[in-house]
Amino acid sequence: MAIITAGVASSHVPLLGVASDFGKDADDYFGPIFAGYEWTREWEKAEKPDVVILVYNDHASAFDMRIIPTFAIGCGERYKPADEGWGPRQVPDVEGHPDLAWHIAQSLILDEFDMTIINEMDVDHGLTVPLTMMFGKPEAWPTKVIPLAVNVVTYPPPSGNRCWALGEAIARAVASFEEDLNVQVWGTGGMSHQLQGPRAGLINREWDNMFLDGLIGEDDHLRRIPHIEYLRETGSEGIEMVMWLIMRGAMGKRTRALHRHYHVPCSNTAIGHLVLRPDNGEGLDMTGSDTVHAIAAE
Amino acid sequence: MTGPRDIHAYLAEFEDIPGTRVFTAKRARQGYHLNQFAMSLMKDENRQRFRADESAYLDEWKLTPEQKDALLKRDYNRLLDLGGNVYFLAKVFSTDGQSFAQAVSTMTDMNFEDYTKMMVAGGRSPEGQRSIKEGR
Repeated sequence: MAIITAGVASSHVPLLGVASDFGKDADDYFGPIFAGYEWTREWEKAEKPDVVILVYNDHASAFDMRIIPTFAIGCGERYKPADEGWGPRQVPDVEGHPDLAWHIAQSLILDEFDMTIINEMDVDHGLTVPLTMMFGKPEAWPTKVIPLAVNVVTYPPPSGNRCWALGEAIARAVASFEEDLNVQVWGTGGMSHQLQGPRAGLINREWDNMFLDGLIGEDDHLRRIPHIEYLRETGSEGIEMVMWLIMRGAMGKRTRALHRHYHVPCSNTAIGHLVLRPDNGEGLDMTGSDTVHAIAAE
Repeated sequence: MTGPRDIHAYLAEFEDIPGTRVFTAKRARQGYHLNQFAMSLMKDENRQRFRADESAYLDEWKLTPEQKDALLKRDYNRLLDLGGNVYFLAKVFSTDGQSFAQAVSTMTDMNFEDYTKMMVAGGRSPEGQRSIKEGR
């Protein structure tokens, strides 16, 4: 049986990809950002996920104004890094998991989530930057990836509650897949940032940390935050944080935090990163594993 | 459901946010060709043709004279008013060799150096930036 063993949240600022690709990730500006991911890179080496369901938004790369799917799931064999205007990133192609992806797509539709199915697309920084942050610069990505793209560009995006519920439905779908697979769900984007207009540069450290706190434990009040609150409190692009709620919904009733990182700024954006374990009696403590020692040493 | 179900009430609230244009359906329709022009710059051959003669390249698209003028001047606030979306306009930044932060700073009342200093110092505070009506 496939099992969701962890959730990861992370910002996906394109400049982080540039910093990694051009070897600037240890300099004075980027060093403190990347340092907060070192723990996770070690942890991922021990966790060895077979598949990551990677929730992200396309930034006018694969989808333009012609087609705007609210929720789209990638069921293809592989995806190439997109040319976002300065040539594609020189990172490995992303390998899909069509069997699990189609299983999830079918299950979600029966569960009344009317997904758009994508077989061919290029993936932009929204998807490749989180892979870089969690895995560094390998020859090939060490996991298969199911892209799950969410519209957060053209209003209205889906509500936080709908995102959370989609995460719950993804968890039900994964649990009914026969093959033994170690599956993680990642929610990406955010945290506070505004990339447009005279209010550009807005950062709300206090609100961001309230949001990080709210993902941990049993509290589910985050699912009821309306769009207008994200816009007012976290900037126009802070709305990306609804995507983190898909990851949180997939964790079940209760979570515990394994790792947390927050840093301002990266370009125009507050960087947030959180690693969660579902904590509903799944027995994912992995006592005696390298992971647990690493966590204990934190 | 967590927000207003009435689309009119939902959209009306967006007008109360200082210095922000939310990318609503109205703006998406107004800026359709502007944003699709920007998308065309994802291809290197189009970037080269655009750089060679911007005005001629823009004439290939169904842009309004205001949109064309604002594009030639790289007046991004006006482009937002004319239906542009920042993720699409980013293709223009990239073609110009500008970083996101450089281009974004031109929409504020700061130069790039001061904008960068503000970000390094923790960014723009939300105080007084949340609501025009309530002044909070």
